Amino acid sequence: MSSETTPLIKSVGQPRLKASSSLAWRIAGRIGGGVMVLWAAVSLSFIAVWLAPGDIVSLLVGEQVRTPAIEAAIRAEWGLDRPLWQQYLSYLWRIMHGDFGRSYMLNVDVGQLVASQLLPTLKLAGAALLVSVVFAVLVAVLTAHRRWGRSVANGLELLLASTPSFWLGIVLLFIFSFTLRWFPVAGDRNFAALVLPSLSLGLAQGAVVSQVLRRGLEDALDQPFSLTLRAWGIHGVIVRLRHALRHAALPAVTLTGWLVCGLLSGAVITEQVFSRPGLGKVTVDAVLAKDMPVVLAVAILSALVYVVMSTLVDILGLLIDPRLRSQADKE
Amino acid sequence: MRLNNKVAMMATVSLLALSVSSAFAAAEPRTGGTLTWGVETEPKPLNPQLNGQSKAELILRVAYESLLARNADGSFVPWLAESYRVEQDGKRIIFTLRPDVKFSDGAKLNAEAVAENFRHIQDPAYCAGSSLCALSRHIDSIETPDERTVVLNLKAVYSPFLAFAAGLKLISPKSWQSPDLKAGGASVAGTGPFILQRYEKGQQIVFVKNPEYNWAPANAAHQGPAYLDGVTYRFLPESSVRVGALLSGQVDAIEGVSGNDAGEFKNNPDFTYQHALNTGTPYSLFLNVEYGPTQELKVRQALLQGLDVAPILQSIYRGERTRAWGITSPVDPLYTNGVEGKYGNNPDLGNKLLDEAGWNTRDADGFRTKDGQRLSIEIIQAQATVRDQRDVLLQAIQAQARQRLGVELKLRYVDSGTYTELRNSGQFGSIANSNTETDGIDIENHYLPVNAGGAINYSRTSDPAILPLLKGASATADVPARRGFYAQLQQLAIIDRAVAIPLYEPEDQIAAASYVNGIGFRPFKQMPENAYSVWLSEH
Repeated sequence: MSSETTPLIKSVGQPRLKASSSLAWRIAGRIGGGVMVLWAAVSLSFIAVWLAPGDIVSLLVGEQVRTPAIEAAIRAEWGLDRPLWQQYLSYLWRIMHGDFGRSYMLNVDVGQLVASQLLPTLKLAGAALLVSVVFAVLVAVLTAHRRWGRSVANGLELLLASTPSFWLGIVLLFIFSFTLRWFPVAGDRNFAALVLPSLSLGLAQGAVVSQVLRRGLEDALDQPFSLTLRAWGIHGVIVRLRHALRHAALPAVTLTGWLVCGLLSGAVITEQVFSRPGLGKVTVDAVLAKDMPVVLAVAILSALVYVVMSTLVDILGLLIDPRLRSQADKE
Repeated sequence: MRLNNKVAMMATVSLLALSVSSAFAAAEPRTGGTLTWGVETEPKPLNPQLNGQSKAELILRVAYESLLARNADGSFVPWLAESYRVEQDGKRIIFTLRPDVKFSDGAKLNAEAVAENFRHIQDPAYCAGSSLCALSRHIDSIETPDERTVVLNLKAVYSPFLAFAAGLKLISPKSWQSPDLKAGGASVAGTGPFILQRYEKGQQIVFVKNPEYNWAPANAAHQGPAYLDGVTYRFLPESSVRVGALLSGQVDAIEGVSGNDAGEFKNNPDFTYQHALNTGTPYSLFLNVEYGPTQELKVRQALLQGLDVAPILQSIYRGERTRAWGITSPVDPLYTNGVEGKYGNNPDLGNKLLDEAGWNTRDADGFRTKDGQRLSIEIIQAQATVRDQRDVLLQAIQAQARQRLGVELKLRYVDSGTYTELRNSGQFGSIANSNTETDGIDIENHYLPVNAGGAINYSRTSDPAILPLLKGASATADVPARRGFYAQLQQLAIIDRAVAIPLYEPEDQIAAASYVNGIGFRPFKQMPENAYSVWLSEH
């Protein structure tokens, strides 16, 4: 597993550290690449939404009476009377000035809409990430190379990873909210309201990461260096935590970075079950209704998250594994 | 025709009824406390005029009110207007406003403020995409002869118009300048017993009591300010989560209880459970008369006659839903029961009709064929509108059509873009749909020709016999006469032409903790009533 994931790290972290003078160049390259990714995300989403069935005027008229006057009013209000390329260019111009337009369906400013829903989703994603990392490290360190613990953990991980988060959410709610009444069911009001949603979203991901992490740990523990360490009389737990974990962390970090990007889509279902505000629900509604300004804003945001996460993963990789740094220096 | 006296009399009758019922009430209403009500649907948008969701009414009506209220029989009672008159057979409607009504932003409700509302709803830039455009186009001119009188002149007599004008939720003069006019919210003020304080999208909407409120409809359970200090509607889209939240005391009341969950509250002393049939068209399969096998009358009649909906409803909803037979709701004053039990559950007749139509060979899967083509009908549903276990209902009907008649019903769930495209092109076999409008507007929506007001005419019928019946019904305000026209239409559309197969009448449910008093349904419109007369006993 680790041998499979190592090239991935290399390819993500392509521009290598050379000397401090090239650092500025590297950062500029990063930003330039990020902007290109954002532009591509906007353009592809723009095209995709236009190609999807159903013209926007018909969607906005809905199941209501349709007359030429009504159609004209809708076209004029949303600027749909201009040619497509003009709409596209003026959209690009406006987003460069921070104006994301108004939602067709909700008739509110998209920038404000996304901003207001971003924090609850970030809270959920952050808490879920914490849950999955803690779960993964704990389970992996405790069960690597332990016959019984290993098979129990393996079964649990398989169960969690394959449980639909919708169902897990309902079960958690039933036990801890409806029956024991420890946590509130819904909303984004206090810390207690965050516990169940983050468990339901984080556990499944934690289970996947912990499987990878344990495999890595076991590989590391099998290597000669850990035998040497133990021969020096270092305690088994210390070997696991200080030495083997570092070796095993690289693929797990890559995977986690990738999973964080998936938290936004995972949040859709969790937000629905727990009646939380957030971007997930906004996004689904917008896509279903072909609410172009909202879809595009979410596309930009997702692309931004991907760019930031892949950069973070690169840097973390350099910090964790000195070999990557020295390789970079040699080049 | 002067109806002033009638309104006054109605008010007296309802006041009498009130005093009688309050004599039997167990306890005096208490003021104070806040109610948390778990609801299924989040209003989109919050503008009460542009919002077309009947499930959002209970929320919006706490802050926005209209000129007249209605009794269960459809008659009108005073509200923001203390009386009304209809002249020239219904072409001229005159409202006399109460003198003491104020919007929550301080503006006075006068003739000009009301007229502004009727002017704006005619503007395509404002009304597009809502049901307002279709109705406001009947207005010819608006007069405000004095501070308290509003006159609406119509282009032609259109009997549903009075109900529309009387029920339009009025917003304050300042609202028209608000940048959030179309989105709605705190800057769009109404006259209601509660004032919108805070809207947290995706979570809840919070209202506080309007202490100056003193203009409840004449048939309300009490007068003066609301009993509650405030009411919070919490959005809980998952049915099982709403039920769990109520059972564990996290909310005080919920609406939208599935047939499976009704038992949790029905015989439980800690809760109350009530339900009411919706108004409007039943949930019906509309059979496209312009596309595919349903173009043939005999195929449509075979489905209408051969299927048996009752046992399916019984098993899916555990007896908690009501079989429907006609073109409108059995609770609508315009409903007639002439077609009840007159069709269905006759597979022999159904099969005979299909044989006659030439679908008399079968393929390897047991489906009927003609000239090598399978008898297959595609039912289109917009994924976003599937609720109340309707997907399961359609599956059961699909199985029955196969077993009983050898007809293949294909169920296709589509996104709203595809749905819109198929609706426009007319290339579908059937669309299942319901509609909660009253006063015959529901019937017009389904049976006027597609390009002449039949916005949801999913059978796409343009039968020349139908239009004169619709015109006749909308040209008179006389309820028995209108009922007669619609009875003929019902016979024609369902029995003779089989353009629709009514399935069941949708309903609303309310479950509440037993300390919640006065919660219930709105007369006539049958939607959950807002929290104005709700009070909480000691708990």
